[in-house]
Amino acid sequence: MKGFLEYVPGDTPLHRLNPLTKLLLSLLICASCFVSGYHLFSVGIIILNLLMAASAGILRRAAVMLASLAKLSLVLFLIQVLCVRQGTPLLTLPLGLIITDRGVSFSLLIVLRLIAATLPLALMLSVTQLSDLSGALVDRVGVPYLYAFALTTAIRFIPVFAGEMSGIMEAQTARGVEFDSHNPFKKIRLILPLCVPLLISSVQRIEGSALSAQLRGFNLRRRHSGYKRYPFRITDLASLLAGAALIALAACI
Amino acid sequence: MIRFEQVGFQYKGAPTFALRDISLTIKPGEFVGIIGSSGAGKTSLTRCINGVIPHHFPGNFYGAVTVDGMDTVVCGLDALSRKVGSVFQDIDGQMVASLVEDELLFGLENFAVPREEIPQRISAALEALGIAGLRQRAIASLSGGQKQKVAIAAILALRPDILVLDEPTGELDPASSRAIFSLLRTLNETYGMTIVVVEQKIMLLCEYVQRLLVMDAGSIRFDGPVRQVVAHSGELEALGVHCPRVVTLCGLLQACGLYQGPPAITVEQAQAMVKEALA
Amino acid sequence: MIQFDHVCFGYDGLQSTLEDISFHVAAGEFVAVAGSNGAGKSTLAKLVNGLARPTAGRVVTGGMDTRKAHTSVLARSVGFLFQNPDRQICQNTVREEIQFGLTLRGFDPKETHARCQEVLDDFGFDGNAAPFSLSRGERQRLALASLLALRPRLLILDEPTTGLDYRECTHIMQIVRRQNCQGATVLMISHDMEIVQDYADRVLVLHEGRLLGDGPARRVLADRELLAQASLLPPQIADLALRLGEGFEGVFTAEEMVGRIEGRRSA
Repeated sequence: MKGFLEYVPGDTPLHRLNPLTKLLLSLLICASCFVSGYHLFSVGIIILNLLMAASAGILRRAAVMLASLAKLSLVLFLIQVLCVRQGTPLLTLPLGLIITDRGVSFSLLIVLRLIAATLPLALMLSVTQLSDLSGALVDRVGVPYLYAFALTTAIRFIPVFAGEMSGIMEAQTARGVEFDSHNPFKKIRLILPLCVPLLISSVQRIEGSALSAQLRGFNLRRRHSGYKRYPFRITDLASLLAGAALIALAACI
Repeated sequence: MIRFEQVGFQYKGAPTFALRDISLTIKPGEFVGIIGSSGAGKTSLTRCINGVIPHHFPGNFYGAVTVDGMDTVVCGLDALSRKVGSVFQDIDGQMVASLVEDELLFGLENFAVPREEIPQRISAALEALGIAGLRQRAIASLSGGQKQKVAIAAILALRPDILVLDEPTGELDPASSRAIFSLLRTLNETYGMTIVVVEQKIMLLCEYVQRLLVMDAGSIRFDGPVRQVVAHSGELEALGVHCPRVVTLCGLLQACGLYQGPPAITVEQAQAMVKEALA
Repeated sequence: MIQFDHVCFGYDGLQSTLEDISFHVAAGEFVAVAGSNGAGKSTLAKLVNGLARPTAGRVVTGGMDTRKAHTSVLARSVGFLFQNPDRQICQNTVREEIQFGLTLRGFDPKETHARCQEVLDDFGFDGNAAPFSLSRGERQRLALASLLALRPRLLILDEPTTGLDYRECTHIMQIVRRQNCQGATVLMISHDMEIVQDYADRVLVLHEGRLLGDGPARRVLADRELLAQASLLPPQIADLALRLGEGFEGVFTAEEMVGRIEGRRSA
């Protein structure tokens, strides 16, 4: 799962869309799955997602994502299918469990929707630079820069802190704390006290980062200070219309 | 021009003063190094120049610091940050973006540099540091030395008159540390930038800076041309500052009457010194 | 004490960080590993105590194959001092910090208390102080103190003096030297050539994951070409002797240099 939501550089039509269009489009696609109660529609959306991924040159990643979502869905499906008791029984299992036609149909729809709705968001993050997304939100929507900056900084710091945490765990293992034990409960009990050193170093880091930003004129920044512009082009309009059409289609069938 | 007039500072809640009665003038175009043991007040001194003291760290501030005639207490961080660029030791902590280009853009955008000027400023800053090839790279994928160069480039693009660096080579190996210092020298010589750098590696200071300040317990104990300051190797040792080995050698040769010339502080100078001692 | 047999290592099966490293460190040696950032020095240190396991080859530390023993078991005889003491320190007082390792090892309270007191006295620490009120140099000393309370036979130091001033640095290194004189084996990672010169008997030079050189400090540190390949410079006096050339072979310290000059003058 490493680098699973990381940005994949590229210059395809999908990459070139306005970040806000990409965000909206992915939300529209998600919504359409829930508007339609039709199994094949969700299958169609999954195929559409794969086609879009192929056009952006990230088919491999989409396939990996699909595979891991499918595994998760299988578990969900099994749980769900045993919970629905209405409808005609297809199979009777021990312990009073039954599988009905309604159960199969309903559970299948749930997991197909889950897959079809997750993929577009994940794809959107793969073809959009986070800084562009926040930049467009500030420039076009007027989201205060402070919030956009906080969001991008938080995400940027995740790998830094993860590195720090693994460094701390290495240091503790080296002095004899049994982090290399295979018992997960024991591991969690051992990890908890280490949150203090992690917190202290994180706070110091963030303070330094804030100071550095301040010394480079953070407080002087205005809504339209951003160098990059995020204009809406005809392709953006077309994409959004296509998204709206998809919703309409979902509602009709 | 940076001027300290009887400056004292005590961090809020701290039992003692971090800086005591500092008076100091740094002229435009000087390349100044600061050394001293930990807790000597080196970082606090640089924080007075970029205004972080007293604007970010509150406390009792006495005396006055002026940068280019502006009183740092009166004029505020934002105005000062147009004049003074700052680079810190924590390389990852001082970054604000995930791409090299965005890191440089950040300050340019904030200071409202005209749009048409921005591309040229970015490429000029990257070229000055010899890292034009890194422009589109993710910062996370760079080495420590490369990151520190990006941090300096981001400041350089803002064209400050003064550059303040707090242990910029702390986490770097000898080759990258030298690369950073030879770059600082270029900035100083080519662009006439005033540079104030805190550094523990005395050999780098001996080789690159013109003027050396030695601090101890919040005061400046020595201030002068490097060669002159380092000649006090015995007193420096007592302050926890260790002189380069060639300085020790110079002292030994002087003690046995084999050498009377000016103190040698670099290996090149030592080579000349030994030749003289042999003659 | 440490045996590397054709050790290779790569993170996540990616391109290798270390390639075909073989060396042996005998008990009681003081060995430095020198190299630039990214040469693989820290990885090598982690291989010694099992924090990293070789992808090929074999590492044997204190008679135990690191692929078979847990790091926490190896920790019984191996003390590992990291560059950043704050990753090691996790207790609320200096005393608790030192006792933490002893308790983990399963010493009874009496022994724990005795050893802790011994180290506190030895290092001159106030046992009730909060670790985070100490200076960076003192925290590094505290991290070292809590290792030494366990009386390790092997000490691994990963850039122990980074970020410290000269006084703090000497303080740490004097303690390490004393441990070495009392029989502990020391493996120190460093790119500070002066520290390497002052304390190590033997130097391994690492560059881009390969072992370029291995020999007595005097020989390796005066080998300009070898060091240049690893982006390193000889320490100043050795550098000077190399530049002076004929008649100054093997000069390593300022005192030796004066002796040599006097010798040449009287000749």
